[in-house]
Amino acid sequence: MFGSKVKIDKALLEKATKYSQIAGYSSTEEFINNALEKEIAKLEGADSEDEIKKRLKGLGYIS
Amino acid sequence: MIVRQARVIPIVLVVMTLGTLLVRPLTGPIEAQSDRRVIVLGIDGMDYRLLSQFIAEGRLPNFERLASAGSLSPLETTMPPLSPVAWSTFITGMDPGGHGIYDFLHRDPLTAEPLESIYQVSPPGRSFSLGSWVVPLSGGGVVAQRKGTAFWELLEDAGVDTTVFRMPVNFPPVESSGRSFSGMGTPDILGTHGTFTFYTDYPPDNMNDLTGGTVQLVDVVDNHVSGRLTGPPNTFRRFPRNDALLRPATTEVEYENPDLTVDFSVHVDVEAGAAKFIVQDTEFILNEGEWSDWISVNFEAVPFLIHVGASARFYLQDISPDFKLYVTPLQIDPAKPVLPVSTPDDWSAEITDSIGRFYTQELPEDTKAYQEGIFSGREFWEQSQFVYREQRLALDHMLESFDDGLLFFYFSSVDQGAHMLFHYMDPDHPIHEEDELLSTGIRTLYEEMDGVLGQLLEFIEQDDRETTLMVMSDHGFSPFYWGVNLNSWLLEKGYATLRDPSRQGQTPLFLNVDWERTTAYAVGLQGLYVNLQGREGHGIVPPSEYEQVLDRLETDLLAMRDERTGQSPVRLVFRPRDEWQGADPATAPDIIVGYDWGYRTSWDSPLGQFPRDIFVDNDETWSGDHSIDYRLVPGVFLSNRQIMIDNPTLSDLTVTVLEEFGVAPLPEMIGKDALE
Repeated sequence: MFGSKVKIDKALLEKATKYSQIAGYSSTEEFINNALEKEIAKLEGADSEDEIKKRLKGLGYIS
Repeated sequence: MIVRQARVIPIVLVVMTLGTLLVRPLTGPIEAQSDRRVIVLGIDGMDYRLLSQFIAEGRLPNFERLASAGSLSPLETTMPPLSPVAWSTFITGMDPGGHGIYDFLHRDPLTAEPLESIYQVSPPGRSFSLGSWVVPLSGGGVVAQRKGTAFWELLEDAGVDTTVFRMPVNFPPVESSGRSFSGMGTPDILGTHGTFTFYTDYPPDNMNDLTGGTVQLVDVVDNHVSGRLTGPPNTFRRFPRNDALLRPATTEVEYENPDLTVDFSVHVDVEAGAAKFIVQDTEFILNEGEWSDWISVNFEAVPFLIHVGASARFYLQDISPDFKLYVTPLQIDPAKPVLPVSTPDDWSAEITDSIGRFYTQELPEDTKAYQEGIFSGREFWEQSQFVYREQRLALDHMLESFDDGLLFFYFSSVDQGAHMLFHYMDPDHPIHEEDELLSTGIRTLYEEMDGVLGQLLEFIEQDDRETTLMVMSDHGFSPFYWGVNLNSWLLEKGYATLRDPSRQGQTPLFLNVDWERTTAYAVGLQGLYVNLQGREGHGIVPPSEYEQVLDRLETDLLAMRDERTGQSPVRLVFRPRDEWQGADPATAPDIIVGYDWGYRTSWDSPLGQFPRDIFVDNDETWSGDHSIDYRLVPGVFLSNRQIMIDNPTLSDLTVTVLEEFGVAPLPEMIGKDALE
């Protein structure tokens, strides 16, 4: 459950409900939660994550 | 233990002003036997079992001669039996608890984020801006992580001349009055382990998942192809990040540095099966299937003022029906290195004057290009042979100028070949295949080392002076049939918990881990860490329960069973703090997992992934490995003198070299003299 209420466009909510079912999420909330997490991760830490993976994955022992 | 201030060197574009601050107390007798001669041949990954087998088959006459007239012994490696760990022990004479290198990968205890073990990059310092130009006042740097004193430093203090070529875990090279050239740990110009570029008009299926290289899509238009070599970021320039608009106006603007680039052009002649290349001032023609020599590349960071030199080789795989061009990782150009790869600094250029340009990157054999399908097995072999021939040329050069003192010389070909060709040799391997050339490829690599040994024996015999010859390797080899997703196993056993189990296997770097309900996690090839309170960023295991958790982990690891094979994948649970003196309590693993023959950690687990299957077949061409129970993969030790101790270890060899010159080892060196 969200800790606070967030307004969301009705059409967007319908889409989110539809795709959360297609993707196999247990609830629309879970899907939205995941989507937000992904976007925040992109803004917050994706660069460093990509950089780490890029640098370390050149090591033959990992892929 | 003597802790020396690490040598700090600036990142690529920063002027190299941060010198080394080395303070070493005088130790050992100063009256060394400086007229003695000791040659150490270091062969990465030479396996005692395979060496003995090939000798028995009569394939290695020089090794047989040395073993008969002198001695041959298995050489105990370190736990874990990984090159950075093992070579660091040879260099310092200390166990990993002393030198602080525990794996290829360490981790940040606060975040569990994997880190390079050999060196770490420190953030840039102060700078001032002029428009889009940035002038650094103090640079970031690359800091070597290995602690301890390299044995050749002690020799130099005692007046012994030293030449140390391609010693692993010696980047940046330790300050030295002798001649040394860095080895494993030396990055390419991008700061990576080696990133090739593949130019094609027919993208491979794995284009977006490629590791160790990048694909650049090009078009062949009117028999012309335009390509671009991409260098490191130009730290002298900056622009607002592309996603700046996504951030609130109140947020401070973030900048990024544009990459340095050099454009090149290719004119193809489909009928002739050849192409003409123009790279800056260099023009050359390649036939299909042909490699160029080293091509010098000059990246311009500040017009007319600052350039970054690099070098690369071009391999024209195909022109038609698809254009396929492979370009090696951009090397630190040995003729004008932008990072210090040698001592003295100009020794690198001196070698280049003698033998031409050569690979400076740590392990130049392009295993990734083969693993990712850019190279065939034969192409990998051909490229590896380039590396081998370059190293032979370098050895010739070293021997020409070697008079007395120490010569250490390193070869990488056996190790890299055993990783990539094991499945050709081993009929039991899941992806075994026959190939007239490659099925005996590993044996050929040993035969090539036999040729090297013959050259050294002849060199020694031509001189009346007594010379001690030592041949050694850091570890042996085993087949890699099955991978263990150790983090997934921890999950199944309840040591780890995911925040969203439905996303298992989808996120790397522990991004989905519920740290409040995780007691242990795995990073690197063999390391396992307890989520300990007071040490880990989200630690939950009280120190009072630490030993209990370790006991439970040990019991469960040894009871692990792969139902598909009926085998127990874990053979040894090694507790570093019980075995080593001085292991860093913050960074050393709590357990090092010793896998059994045929097993290894999986491809995904080392970087914090949790794939759904615990046990997986290894269907990669990286088919041989050694990151298992160290007792199963000893290295080799041969000498033209008698080995006088049982079960010699890598740390014994350090002391042995010093004693050959009459130089006393440091108190923290744990080995003993191995020779008569």
